[in-house]
Amino acid sequence: MDNQIVMNKKKKKFKIFPIVNAVMFIIISFLIIFPMWKVVVDSLDAQAAYGFRWVPMKFSFGGYESIISRKALYGPFVISVITTIIGTFLGLLLSTLGAYTLIQWEMPGRNFFAYMLLFTMIFDGGMIPKFLVISDLGLYDTLWAVILPMAIDVYNLVLMRNFFEGIPESLFEAAQIDGCSPMGIFFRIVLPLSKAALASIGLMFAVKFWNDYTNFKLYIVNNDLWNFQLRLRAMVMESDVPDESAVDPNTITNAAVIVAILPFTVIYPFCQNYFVQGVNVGAVKE
Amino acid sequence: MQCKSCNTELPKKAKVCPKCGKIVNEKSSGNLKVIAVFGLVIAMIASMLPFVQNTSEIKDAYSFMNIDMPIMWYLFILAIVVSACLLVARKDMLSIISTLAAAAVFVVSFVGFDFRHYSKRNKFTIVRLMDLIQNGSGEDSYAIGFGVIVMAIGIIMAVAGVFIDVMKYFKKDLKVDARYLSNSINKSIWTKIWYHKGFYIMFVPVVIFIVLFYYWPMLGCRYAFSQFRIADPFYVGVKHFVQMFTSDMFFWNSFRNTLFLSIIKLVLNTGAAVIISLLLHEIVNIWFKKTVQTIIYLPHFMSWVVIASVFRMILDPNPSGVVNSLLLQWGVVDEPIMFLSDVKYWQGTFFVMNIWKDTGWGTILFLATLSGISPDLYEAAQIDGANRWKRLLYITLPALANTIITVFILNLAKVMNLFESVFVTSTPGTIEVSEVLQTYVYSKTFSTSMSDYGYSTAVGLFKSIVGMILVLGCNYLSKKVRGRGIV
Repeated sequence: MDNQIVMNKKKKKFKIFPIVNAVMFIIISFLIIFPMWKVVVDSLDAQAAYGFRWVPMKFSFGGYESIISRKALYGPFVISVITTIIGTFLGLLLSTLGAYTLIQWEMPGRNFFAYMLLFTMIFDGGMIPKFLVISDLGLYDTLWAVILPMAIDVYNLVLMRNFFEGIPESLFEAAQIDGCSPMGIFFRIVLPLSKAALASIGLMFAVKFWNDYTNFKLYIVNNDLWNFQLRLRAMVMESDVPDESAVDPNTITNAAVIVAILPFTVIYPFCQNYFVQGVNVGAVKE
Repeated sequence: MQCKSCNTELPKKAKVCPKCGKIVNEKSSGNLKVIAVFGLVIAMIASMLPFVQNTSEIKDAYSFMNIDMPIMWYLFILAIVVSACLLVARKDMLSIISTLAAAAVFVVSFVGFDFRHYSKRNKFTIVRLMDLIQNGSGEDSYAIGFGVIVMAIGIIMAVAGVFIDVMKYFKKDLKVDARYLSNSINKSIWTKIWYHKGFYIMFVPVVIFIVLFYYWPMLGCRYAFSQFRIADPFYVGVKHFVQMFTSDMFFWNSFRNTLFLSIIKLVLNTGAAVIISLLLHEIVNIWFKKTVQTIIYLPHFMSWVVIASVFRMILDPNPSGVVNSLLLQWGVVDEPIMFLSDVKYWQGTFFVMNIWKDTGWGTILFLATLSGISPDLYEAAQIDGANRWKRLLYITLPALANTIITVFILNLAKVMNLFESVFVTSTPGTIEVSEVLQTYVYSKTFSTSMSDYGYSTAVGLFKSIVGMILVLGCNYLSKKVRGRGIV
């Protein structure tokens, strides 16, 4: 903005800084894209694992085909999709319910509930006690062990509350006067007005569930219940690639990396604003 | 009754004047009695420390953990939690009653109940603490454990703390929120509870989840004081902590690594994000700026598994690894560098991966702050003859300082939680520099057979306590710097 002012006032004096700056950002973008480009190229190349080249030498969709066709590979993908969908739904449900209760300033016990939630951000039981609790509940080695603990996220709940506080008080009062019940207000006013918040926090939950590795590693032993991240990890670390003679295992691994990042790489440029909004609300407001 | 400031007639039992918002009876709301809360926490911890201990060897000890009736411990915890809730609800005097009840439970269990002395799993003899103190057991003599002393200190602090209000020195003018001005504040509590009945039902699922996955594991801290191999934990006092602090090299090593890795990472990431956002803010072309933003935010959505996989492939020491083959080609190095499995390079690689992943995402807050700076300021500075550097120094950085501190504080609180990023990028060869507390707990528990859950819980408890101190410290800093806490 100020550059334009300068330009106008000083009669197009040649400025070196903007150009250097732009070049620098092109380099930074290149550094970020470069590793990904390498993976994309390798995933489309029948002979992966030979240094770097800009385009595939021997173009083939073999890697992706084997992901679609082999159960050992598309099974984990399905598990990832299932946990992400159920988890996001459950997470959003709990966050909105909790957040809606927390904005009832006149509700007796509201402060108690708030402190109860906040204390969990200060102190946690640790990895082993949580593991023992999951075992005691009989959730060990089921998908619920992954979904349920992650569905309640106090940080996202507080974030949702921040969003809800932006809704004008007068709307609630008007609905009350018209005889709307708390549930009615929740469904007819709060939820329709906070589509942006739902999108923003829903995306955060989705990213978290999709990328989850730790919980699966801790609570799941059954191979059939692995999610895509675990499968990918096994492929990279132990070269545990389901054997397919026609395709280089490396190509499959590279294709798996692409599949693992594809959903959010495709979605996020369109929802960038929601993500950004989520981050800003989390830090700027209380 | 009339309001003192605006002389409006007040309704019965009114706490806040509906017209001007003044609080009618100033004494009705007090401060949180911080000292009392600390006392309760100390008492809670003391309930896990030895009540009676062997004078020669600390591991032979008795506490609530090996009482014959575990219900006493739950009663004790219940009384302490009730006290804490009452304190938070500003019913200080009532909390004394439940604190004293907790003390009574403690005394009754000390004097009246049998304790078990485990020689092995499932093999125990019944002992009475009073007998033990007077007569000892065999040749060993026993004395009152330091748990009792800590407990006494805790209870006294909790009771005495109720009368001391340290917060009042920090207290500023109480502002009344506009939403308190509506008339319902002046209704009786039962009316309000009945009015809000729907909300309580809505909150039930959240409470269930919170209790199951946050509060129940907290009770599991008691295993830190017991030996727990596969099943049947039994009490061993503070043996694990003694072992951890005095003879476990790996523990100290991982603690040091945790602090080193996460703090350096935090500084590097924040620094890089500030620089990138300052430069990005200078870009005039909106289209170019948006594209760059989209690209640099991208790595944030990749999981650590993906990042570890990608970097493993491009940093591979074999000819297939791009970086090494380029370095060899240009003659920078003579033989391939093992970026991920060499102790010398692992930390550097870890920081680079972190910067690659999170710098772009970190710029969001800074860019939001930068776009909030009024262009008038820059214009005025320009007229006064300030060059780009001066403008940066005197306008941009002061405006950004608060956000930088905020980001720093927010992340400092999470320092101890380093796990996944290290877990997926480290290799067995780099344990020396890459073992952090969480991975240490993990490998101690799940990678060895017959692992002692008690010991790893103790390490985890230490991590949680350090984390708690950090969060509270950051919260305090945050209140000082920007006027509100982080939690």
